[in-house]
Amino acid sequence: MHPDHTGRGTTVHPQGSGVAQPGSGISRRRLLAMSAAGVASPLVADMSAIRLLRSPAFAAELRKQERRVILLWLAGGASQFETWDPKPGVKTGGPFRAIPTDVPGIHISELLPGLAQRMRHTAVIRSLNTKIADHGTAAELMECGRRNDPSVRFPDIGAIVARELGRLESTVPDYVSLYTSTEGRRKGTSGFLGARYSPMFLSESMTPPNILRLENLTDVDHHDRAALRDALARRFTAESRSLAVDSHLSAYQRVQGMMASADLFDIGREPESVRARYGSTQFGEQCLIARRLVEAGVPFVKVARAWWDSHGQNFETHQELCADLDHCMSALLDDLRARGLLEHTLVITLGEFGRTPGINASLGRDHFASAWSCSLSGAGVRGGVAYGKTDKEGHTVVEGEASAGDLFATILASLGIDPEHEYMLGSRPVPLADFGSEPITEVLA
Amino acid sequence: MQQTEPTAARTPDAVKVVKTHGLPAIPFCIATAESPGEAFVGMSDFAVHRIDLGADKPEASPIGEARHGSYVTGIVRVGGTIVSGGYDGALIWWDAGTGSVVRRVEGAHAKWIRRLALSPDGTRVASVADDMRTRLWDVATGGCVADWGDNDVKTPHGYPSMLYAVAFSPDGRFLATGSKTGLVLVRDAASGSIAGRLETPVMYTWDPKARNHSIGGIRSLAFSSDATLLAVGGMGKVGNIDHLEGASRIELFEWQAQSRRAEIEDTKYKGLVEALRFGPGDGWLVAAGGDNGGFVSAYATSDGRLLAQEKVGNHIHDILLAADGASLVAVGHQQISTVTL
Repeated sequence: MHPDHTGRGTTVHPQGSGVAQPGSGISRRRLLAMSAAGVASPLVADMSAIRLLRSPAFAAELRKQERRVILLWLAGGASQFETWDPKPGVKTGGPFRAIPTDVPGIHISELLPGLAQRMRHTAVIRSLNTKIADHGTAAELMECGRRNDPSVRFPDIGAIVARELGRLESTVPDYVSLYTSTEGRRKGTSGFLGARYSPMFLSESMTPPNILRLENLTDVDHHDRAALRDALARRFTAESRSLAVDSHLSAYQRVQGMMASADLFDIGREPESVRARYGSTQFGEQCLIARRLVEAGVPFVKVARAWWDSHGQNFETHQELCADLDHCMSALLDDLRARGLLEHTLVITLGEFGRTPGINASLGRDHFASAWSCSLSGAGVRGGVAYGKTDKEGHTVVEGEASAGDLFATILASLGIDPEHEYMLGSRPVPLADFGSEPITEVLA
Repeated sequence: MQQTEPTAARTPDAVKVVKTHGLPAIPFCIATAESPGEAFVGMSDFAVHRIDLGADKPEASPIGEARHGSYVTGIVRVGGTIVSGGYDGALIWWDAGTGSVVRRVEGAHAKWIRRLALSPDGTRVASVADDMRTRLWDVATGGCVADWGDNDVKTPHGYPSMLYAVAFSPDGRFLATGSKTGLVLVRDAASGSIAGRLETPVMYTWDPKARNHSIGGIRSLAFSSDATLLAVGGMGKVGNIDHLEGASRIELFEWQAQSRRAEIEDTKYKGLVEALRFGPGDGWLVAAGGDNGGFVSAYATSDGRLLAQEKVGNHIHDILLAADGASLVAVGHQQISTVTL
């Protein structure tokens, strides 16, 4: 976490280096909360945990825990019926069975047998109603937790986590995004946080391009040049210090860090037995890279698994893609756990929306954002929970409706980040989670 | 369905939909009933239904209280016995008259049963499933009398493969199966030895870049009456694998000579060829399937030229061709249609 993130309200220089200073604005939501004081609410007790996030001592403790995020982005929209919210035996349910998990009373699709045996680490949210069912706008909504504003480019969850959990002195990237497939590819955005928090975006290969030392430059020359540049920079800054110069120096340090971290993307350095557990699919290899990155301290890694947009042959598609998800995510959870990383790492499965209850004539399911599911595993999450409920055929949410903003707030809270913390964009307060959103406390540890 | 005497010389010159009627669920397979004008269908409500085809508004009625555990995708009838198979991996023997269960074989396959085929002498039923096994069952006892593998469990890209199609030759000597990746195996039905191996790679589309998964597979097979020709149905290469937008595709083989006589691709009526039947005399064959919409097409077997075709309601999963080749019943997405040829 950055040293300037000391309390509510952080001023952000949208076009600058991204370096932030403490702000002084009172939170709009706090104002609303204050005005509502005295109104009895069943949420009061549950919300005490969220308020705890504003305690400096608690925040310091969380900082020590170095929480991380791996977002498994199910691009195109996975079916909730074939994953987390099965409805066997009803007209909309499809052909798959529901299977018991290692948590009594919770059943998920038979396509996820491995994850069923790891449900104790996972909270499933079955009650997302995000309303938008076209790919681009919905992806933006789920990435940023809110609709775009014509006057503001909001940062996505990766950029916010990078900013809140990354360290200025870190030599590894803060935000890495792997999206190798071309369909639905989105780079991610740091919005008003600036380029400092943009993702290292890997689309063509699983290793970053152009970070290796040039072959015609020896290692000694490389280090000598860096030392000379550093010495000159120190002399210069002793005489004239500015934000621009600091940013310049920071950029050099980060580039050197990136070059040094090239090995993190090389899964050839993993024992064969570990690689075998993740499997040979592209998604498996990228999940392994994600584990290597969070282990090295990268706060946010997104691994996109495209493409779940099963307008035709939904059941065949999910047999392939769920097999991949189940195998790779199970291996990832096991690996994180074995290394003591799972309690510090939040693993999310999420896409832009779910799929229709109705089965079309191509045996497909179409876009559907009214009643769908996602999952959270690991850090800050109360495992073994199935939150929310849809109706018998999965058309509507009947219990625990959650918006994109609510999910965003929940993710932030699970990481120990106050969702109501505000960036001050000039004089405009912008809360990390959208106005009106609330964390789902039932899934928080 | 009205049965008439076969006439070898007759060739379809038009496809006409006589009537279409809605059904409350998705029918995947159809078999004749003993009573003329009736049929049995396996459906997405996990039940086997009886349908009176002659009624103005044919109603589907479950034949008994029992249900499969998932979609019913294969059905055959032998005298007064029906055998059904489903995505639950189970086979059920039913008394066609009373709808009572005679025998239930749970775990007949470890994964989805895709299709059943009845041997011409009515003593064996063949099943194919996504465990990539082909099994023969004694119709009288329910015992498994043969169990064959030889299909890879995974695709070349590491994902679960599927075994979609199965057909006996009319003389009962051969049994053909078709897989997701386009492999046709023709076996000696008695010994299980492989008598022929054909590749139809165009029917399997793997998209390594844009969407990173696959679509397609062999969905239908049919032998000519003398068993020299084998028709293989599926879909051509697909650009956007979110949809069934590939050309409907048939490959016609002189399989013992390993020779492909015709490759038929139709971009007017796209999607999967889910059912194939040779007409009387083997001079033509009929294909049915679709994308969202359904089609029925008739082709000459001499050179694969189109004889007649028509859009028929929704995506068709199976057909019942009359012995004279003059009509068929098609079961498609939530509907049943009668078609003349």
